[in-house]
Amino acid sequence: MAELKLPATMSELRAGLGNIVDQGQMQAPYFSALLSSKQGIQIIVDNREERIVERQPTAGTVLSAFDGVTMYEQAVSGFSQREVEQAASNLVKGVSFQKYALREETEERGDFITPMQVDPLELSVREKLDRCREIHRRVKDRDPRIVNARIIYIETNEYSAFRNRTTDLAQRVQRVVLYLIVVVAGPDGQVRYDLESKAGSAGWEILNFTDEELQQLVDNAIALLSAERIEPGEYQIISAPGVSGTICHESFGHGVETDMFLKQRAKAAYFIDKVVGSSLVNIFDDPSRAGGYGSYFFDDEGRRSTPTRIVENGIFRRGITDLYSATALGIPRSANGRRQDYSRKAYARMTNTYFGPGDSTLDEMIAQVDHGIYLDKWSSGMEDPQGWGIQVTCRFGHEIKNGKITNRVFAPIGISGYVPDVLQSITAVSKEVEMDGGSCGKGHKETVPVSSGGPHLLLKARLG
Amino acid sequence: MLTKIIDALNARKDISAWTVRHITEREAQVYAVPKEIESQRTVESENYRIDVLCNTKAPDGSPAVGTGDVTLLSGDDINGGIDRAALVASLVANPVHSIPGPSSNPEVSLVDDNLKRDSLTTMLGLMEDIRTTASKKKDVYLTAAECFGEIQYIHLINSRGIDAEQELTSIAMELVLQAKRNDTETESFVEKSRRRVSDVDAIAEIERQANYTLDLLDASPPRTWQGAVILRAETLASFMAGTPLAGSVLQNLSSAASKYSKISSWEIGRSVFKGDIKGDPLTIWANRCIPYGTTSSRFDHEGLSARRVELIKDNHLVAFHASQRYAEYLGVPATGAFGGVELPAGSTSASDLLAEPYVEIIHFSWFNPDPITGDFATEIRLGYLVDNGVRKPFKGGQLIGNFMDALADVRWSAETGFFGNYLGPHTARFNNLKVSGE
Repeated sequence: MAELKLPATMSELRAGLGNIVDQGQMQAPYFSALLSSKQGIQIIVDNREERIVERQPTAGTVLSAFDGVTMYEQAVSGFSQREVEQAASNLVKGVSFQKYALREETEERGDFITPMQVDPLELSVREKLDRCREIHRRVKDRDPRIVNARIIYIETNEYSAFRNRTTDLAQRVQRVVLYLIVVVAGPDGQVRYDLESKAGSAGWEILNFTDEELQQLVDNAIALLSAERIEPGEYQIISAPGVSGTICHESFGHGVETDMFLKQRAKAAYFIDKVVGSSLVNIFDDPSRAGGYGSYFFDDEGRRSTPTRIVENGIFRRGITDLYSATALGIPRSANGRRQDYSRKAYARMTNTYFGPGDSTLDEMIAQVDHGIYLDKWSSGMEDPQGWGIQVTCRFGHEIKNGKITNRVFAPIGISGYVPDVLQSITAVSKEVEMDGGSCGKGHKETVPVSSGGPHLLLKARLG
Repeated sequence: MLTKIIDALNARKDISAWTVRHITEREAQVYAVPKEIESQRTVESENYRIDVLCNTKAPDGSPAVGTGDVTLLSGDDINGGIDRAALVASLVANPVHSIPGPSSNPEVSLVDDNLKRDSLTTMLGLMEDIRTTASKKKDVYLTAAECFGEIQYIHLINSRGIDAEQELTSIAMELVLQAKRNDTETESFVEKSRRRVSDVDAIAEIERQANYTLDLLDASPPRTWQGAVILRAETLASFMAGTPLAGSVLQNLSSAASKYSKISSWEIGRSVFKGDIKGDPLTIWANRCIPYGTTSSRFDHEGLSARRVELIKDNHLVAFHASQRYAEYLGVPATGAFGGVELPAGSTSASDLLAEPYVEIIHFSWFNPDPITGDFATEIRLGYLVDNGVRKPFKGGQLIGNFMDALADVRWSAETGFFGNYLGPHTARFNNLKVSGE
């Protein structure tokens, strides 16, 4: 692994963090410091223009003092030692902390970097622009109905350092994502589009598109010109990995964030060690998953990344935690305490969340469907951890008739249902797991990078 | 540091135009779980956002421009940052455009004085109001709440002579109310953003939401419905103006940027509808001058002054909303950022719009229509079927339709209201929407 080089000001402050934490720890039962810097660029190339813009950078320090009841925090922009020392002093001044016995934590020290073959920071901006232009050239003229083809490259360079009395960690996490959007116009002026993306904690090596993938994108966009609205009702469906992942994310992702348990907002709290789905259902959240768009080496509360098995053979085992909710609930922590950036608090958040693989093939699954829908692509989802409802919207789906996928396309398609009913209806799971990268909000804010995915699933649900 | 940045930009021969925004923010955040204040935080930030424009050449040798940007924190290397922005600008060759020149910025009310004076105390006070009000409710309890209060100061200077300042406050409130009967638990999740605490009106909001939470105990899945659907108040506002995560269809299709990139097929002077118009004629303004509007401002990120722009009049597109760049590309006036959605009052009283039977939707899971096609299929968290004088709650099912088709067959109430990013009729009756149920 390459040597970690933190930004200079962050590196200087990191050297003095031990003293700041020691001073804070003299006043508060628990004291920690997080240094966080996120920056990056976005390159857009389309038929009409090109743009290179900086991703709005954030850089700041979070000082946390915790007494088992209330988390007091002060966040300051930048890494000035003088300002951080002052903020640390202000944070504990005048606070009557409750008595609180800290849990014993093992010592954790180390520096980490995302493994990469083609490090974006070692490519010039021109080289990245040229790579985007090359992909654009390959897609823009594939059909005369294309009115625009847009390539969006986003790279995010995240640096963080965490310090408390037992932990001294630092990391660089490199995330990249490339979106391809093809916009087509029909003879009556209607405009339709499809998009495809590749994303991961990785370098440019993962951002390659084959000609077949590009043509499929164009074909999908054109097919949408003649798409129909689906007749609402219950259907046998096969979900593509991205759709499976969104179902997973919205059902047993948000629904098992344990801050929601604490707020009495999660029905899953009553289902620990109980059956919540068919025995084919296994669900994981894993911030240590190699290359996952939501991966990191430690969370924003200094917890080293390890996988969490949420559902095991249909039985709900445990949720994912932040420090506060794990403490309040008296349960073991997982490495899921995440902040949008230094200016926001940490919540229990997902990372890479997915259904585990089964042993069917896609062809076998399609052959089992007399009349149903193959749900190709998702577009959005929303959680309902208390009601355990699912809302997942799919960009489009194909009809399955007599065990074969037809050319009939429906768009958009909403999936709804009650989580245990939907998970219980799963009767086949394919072997291969694929992940989609994206971002996730807590409600309508607190955005963090995540991925979700899984294999193909054969299930029943209400579509509309 | 601002002076040093301007001096450095003026010294650059390779930069043809520039804009600098000095932005400082102070925020207080208070979080509550059922019995405790979980966390209270204060956040301070300060940065300088620089946009530069450089003259470049297109592949055929014709004049072109490129843009670049950089954000500097206090103490950062100014020349190094400007170098990065200029380098990026030099790499691309887009059609020539300029940046805005000076104009008079209107006075727009944007600040809550109490919040400005002491954001943490104000947010703790709001949280106390929420907890006290909720604690008095019978059979309904508060399980979580978050209150954010922010003061933002922006000083914008550009190379064409704009030198403008503005101060803005904003409040975001989230709360969760629950009720329980036997094994049935229900929840209402509320989020509200405003510029003033008084506009959040937390006490009245809790009263309303408490009733909805109790009604949910009696709610069952809906039957499929095709017909009149009523939206009111905040629900109507999110339908018309969009939510923070889902942009609005109106904003997207009426944007000069979308027109330039051929995403929008709208044409000035033509109807925005494709089929027959069966409802009230549609007139819409993009209004950045709405007092205390959450998307109002005296000037936008380019320095363009706030305006009230008539976008659609009697179903026909009158103007695109446009940044300086896309205004010049399309040859239309530069209007700046969109702001809020404003509609004129309708001609029918709200009570007359409630002719039975109808479905009223109170809470969507997330109303997020496709921003280009306008198609939506969105889960309903709470609705009512109103028929024969009976108001029967339901939950689940999806509202299915197309945004523009829905606006082609709607009647608006004479009563109006202000809902953060929406100013207009309080009630709308969409005559023919579908609820997919059992």
